[in-house]
Amino acid sequence: MRALLLLWSLAPLLWQLRTSLQSPAALAPPATGAAAGAAQAAAWTLENYQLILAGDPPFWRCLVNSGVVGLSTTLLTLLLAIPCAYGLHRQRGRIGSVATLILLAAALFPTVLLFLGLLETARRLGLANNLLALSLPYSAMGLPLAVLLLRSAFDDLPPELEDAAKLEGLDLWQRLRHVLLPLLAPALISTALLLFLFSWNEYPIALTWLSRSELLTLPVAMARIGSSSVFTIPYGAFAAATVLGSLPLLLLVLLGQRWIVSGLTHGAIKG
Amino acid sequence: MSLAPWLLMLPALLLLAAVYAGPLLRYAWLSGHASSVLTGLIPVPNDGANWQRLAGDARFWQDAFQTLRFAFLSVGLELLLGLAIALLLHRPMRGRGLLRAVTLLPWALPTTLMALGWRWILNDPYGPVNGLIQGLGGQPYGFLSTPATTWLATVVADVWKTTPFVALLLLAGLQSIPGDLEEAMQLEGASRWQILRRLTLPLLLPYLGLAVLFRLAQALGVFDLIQVLTGGGPGGSTESLAFYAYLQAMRFLDFGYGATVMLATFGLLLLLALAWLLTLRRLQGRQP
Amino acid sequence: MSLREGQGLELRQLSRSVGERLLLDRLDLEVRPGECLALLGPSGCGKSTTLRLVAGLDAPSCGRILLQGEDITDRSAGSRQVAMVFQSYALYPHLSVADNLALGLRVRGVGARERERRIASVLELLQLGELRERRPAQLSGGQRQRVALARALLRQPQVVLLDEPMSNLDAQLREELRPELRRLLCGGEPPVIYVTHDQQEAIGMADRIALLEGGRLQQVGSARELYANPINRFVATFLGRPAINLLPLDHERQLGLRPEHLVPLDPEAEGQQGLAARLQRHEWWGNQQLLWLETERGPLRMLLPGDQSPPERLRVGWQPAHELHFAAGSGERLP
Repeated sequence: MRALLLLWSLAPLLWQLRTSLQSPAALAPPATGAAAGAAQAAAWTLENYQLILAGDPPFWRCLVNSGVVGLSTTLLTLLLAIPCAYGLHRQRGRIGSVATLILLAAALFPTVLLFLGLLETARRLGLANNLLALSLPYSAMGLPLAVLLLRSAFDDLPPELEDAAKLEGLDLWQRLRHVLLPLLAPALISTALLLFLFSWNEYPIALTWLSRSELLTLPVAMARIGSSSVFTIPYGAFAAATVLGSLPLLLLVLLGQRWIVSGLTHGAIKG
Repeated sequence: MSLAPWLLMLPALLLLAAVYAGPLLRYAWLSGHASSVLTGLIPVPNDGANWQRLAGDARFWQDAFQTLRFAFLSVGLELLLGLAIALLLHRPMRGRGLLRAVTLLPWALPTTLMALGWRWILNDPYGPVNGLIQGLGGQPYGFLSTPATTWLATVVADVWKTTPFVALLLLAGLQSIPGDLEEAMQLEGASRWQILRRLTLPLLLPYLGLAVLFRLAQALGVFDLIQVLTGGGPGGSTESLAFYAYLQAMRFLDFGYGATVMLATFGLLLLLALAWLLTLRRLQGRQP
Repeated sequence: MSLREGQGLELRQLSRSVGERLLLDRLDLEVRPGECLALLGPSGCGKSTTLRLVAGLDAPSCGRILLQGEDITDRSAGSRQVAMVFQSYALYPHLSVADNLALGLRVRGVGARERERRIASVLELLQLGELRERRPAQLSGGQRQRVALARALLRQPQVVLLDEPMSNLDAQLREELRPELRRLLCGGEPPVIYVTHDQQEAIGMADRIALLEGGRLQQVGSARELYANPINRFVATFLGRPAINLLPLDHERQLGLRPEHLVPLDPEAEGQQGLAARLQRHEWWGNQQLLWLETERGPLRMLLPGDQSPPERLRVGWQPAHELHFAAGSGERLP
C-alpha cells in the first residue's frame, strides 16, 4: 500500500525528471515506434537545462519573480494577519463570530472569479505589470486562512501568560514582541509556508496582471510556452523547467512538512 | 491605552473588502451594462440584455454541465482516495513523516506545471502512456483529442493534485478521535468495517463536510488546469465556467457578459454550498 | 476593625456582571497593610473574579478599588504595581528563569546593572541561583512556584495577589511551602490576598478569611471567629471537617452540631440527656474515627478518638454552648 502511494505521488514527477534528461531526438524519434524511442532513451543529456537557462528571458528570471512575489506576499499577509488574528482572539460575542464566518467564506471562495474586477482596478490604478503590487490581491487571498490559523494559535496559548505580562506593565506591542509571537513561532512558520506556496502557485491573477515577459511568474511563464503551440511543445525543455520550478517547492515541503501539516490540520480543526 | 479588537482587525478586513467585495459588486453593476469592444469598453446600460443572453446561451449551459460533471466526479474520487490514504497514514509506521511529505508534493506544485506534465504523459504518440500501450502491442491513442478521455484526463489530473489535501484534512480528523473509542468497540467484538462505519465515519463527518465544501468550491472554479491541459478542447468539451468567463473577458473583450457569467457561476456555487450544508446538517441529525 | 485612612487595600461596593450573569455582588472588603487575607469559597463563588478586578485584568461593572487611599479603579493593570502569582504560575515558557525575571524589569526601564543586582538577590532569597539558566519546562512544580514568587517580589508591589498558588503541588510539598510563603509574602508592607478553595490552606496562611458564595461576601473574620461564630448555615457548613450536623428543631429552626463537639454518654444512664443513637457504619482514620449514627431526629456524624471501640448503641450528648441555631428557610443564624 505504501509503495503504491509513493508511486502514485512520485511517478509523474519522476517521469518529468527522466524526460528532462533526454535529448529531443530521443523524445520524438523520427521513426515512429516505441522501440526506437526505447533504444535512445539511455542517451542522457543536460541539453534541455542549458536551453531554458539560456532562453530570453532566462528561466531563472521567473523563479526570481515568483520568489519576490512570494516573499512580499508572505510578509504583507503576516503583517496584516497578526493584528487581525489577535483582535479576533480578543473579540468575543457576535462581532467575533460574524468576522470568523466572513473569513471562512472568503477562504472557500474560488479566487479565479475575482480576476476581472481586480484587473480593472489594477489598470485604473496603474498596478498591472508591477510584481510588488501583485502582493496586494495575493495577501487578501491568503489572509482568511492566515488569520484563522493564527487566531486558533492565539486561542491555544494559556491566557494567564498574557495576563502576567500585562501585570508586569508590558503594553500590547511589548506583549506581542516578547511573549506572544515567540510562543507562536510554529504557527507563524506554518502560516508563512502555506502563504508562500499559495503565492508561488497562483495563476489566473498573475496571468491577467502581468504581460511583460521579464516579469512573468513561474506558472505564467510555463503556461505561455505551453500555449504557444499545442503540437510542437519542446517537451524536454519543458520537463527541465518543471524540474527546476519544482525544486524550491520540493525543498520547502520536505524541510517544512511538519509545519505545513500542522498548519493545514490546525486550520481544519478550527474551521 | 488598549486598542479595541475591531480596530486591530480593520486593516485586514478593509483589504478583504477591496479584493473580494469590490469585484463582486462591480460584476453586479457590470452585468446590467454592455461593456465590450462594440462600446469601446465604456459601460452602457442594456436593460438586462446580458441575463437574457445568458439564459439562451447554449455554450454557457453546456459549460455549466461540464463544470458540474467535473466537480462531482473529481470531488467524489478525491474523497474516496483521500479517506483511504488518510487511514493508511494514520497507522503508526516508520518514516511516516517522509511519506506524508511525499504524499503532499503533488498538492504543493503549481497546477500549470503539472498540467503540462500530464500533457506530455498523455502525448500521442510519444508520451509514456502511449509508449506503454505500444510496448504491449497496441496502437497509440489520442487521449487529449477525444472528448470522453479528455475530460477524464482533467479529472485524473485534478484528483492527483488535490487528493493529498483532502487526505490531510481527514487525517487531522482521524487524529482527533480518541483511540480508546476504537479499542472499546474492538472489545465489544466489532469488525474493522463496523468500526469504520459506526464510529470513524460519523466522527469524521465535520471534516468530510469541510473537505467537500472547500473542494466543491474550488472545483467549480476550475481554471488553471483546463486552460493549460486542454484549452477547453477538444471542441469545447472540457470548457469550464471560469474558463468561459475568462474567454469572454480576455479574448472577446466583452466585460459586461464576462461579469455576468462570473456572477452566474458564483450563484451556482452558493446554491451548491447551501445544498451541501443542508445535507450535512441532515446527516449529522441522523447520527445516534 | 477600622483602617487607618490611606492605608492598605479597600474595595467598595465592587460588582461585576458579564451579560446576565452576576459574578460579584457589591463586595465591601478591607485588607490592612501587612495582612494576609484569604478569599475562600467553592468554585464560581466570585473569589477569582475579585482577584482579577484588583489586578486590573477585568473591569468592574460598578464600585471602586482604593490602594493606599488612591482610587485605582480606572488604572491599567500594568500601572497598578500589583503582583500576582497564578495557579499555573504563568512563566514564559520560551525564556530562561533569569529572563523570565528580567522581562518586566526591562520594560519598566530598569538599567542592566540594577536589573542584574535585583535578580541575583531575589534568586538567592529563594535559593534559585543554580536554576537561573533553566527553562520553566525543566523545573519541578515547586521550583516553578518559587520562580513565580520571585517574579512577584521583583515587581515591588503595593499589593500581592495569589491565585490558588498551591493547587498544582502535591499535598506534602504544600505543607512544607506554607511557612515559606508566609515568611516571604506576609508581614511586609503590602497587603496579600490569597485565593483558595481549601479551608485548611486558608486557615494556615491567612490572618483573616473572607468567605464568598454566589458572588456575595458571607462573612469576614479570623478563622476562629468564622468557626465559632458563623453568621449563617453556609459559613457553618463550609468551615470545619467533617461538616456540621444539621437537625430539625421545629418548622422554623435547625440545630447545628459539629461532629467534634458530640460526646458519647452511657446508654443505660437515665436522666433523658442527649439523643439515643444507633451505629450505622464507621470510618477509622488512625488517631480519630468518624461514626455515622441514626437517631430519631435524623442522621448524625460524630468524631471519636481512634483507640475507642465504637459502641452499637449509645446516647449522644453535647454542651449547650456548642449549639448553633439557624432559620430553616434562609439559613440565617438565630440567637
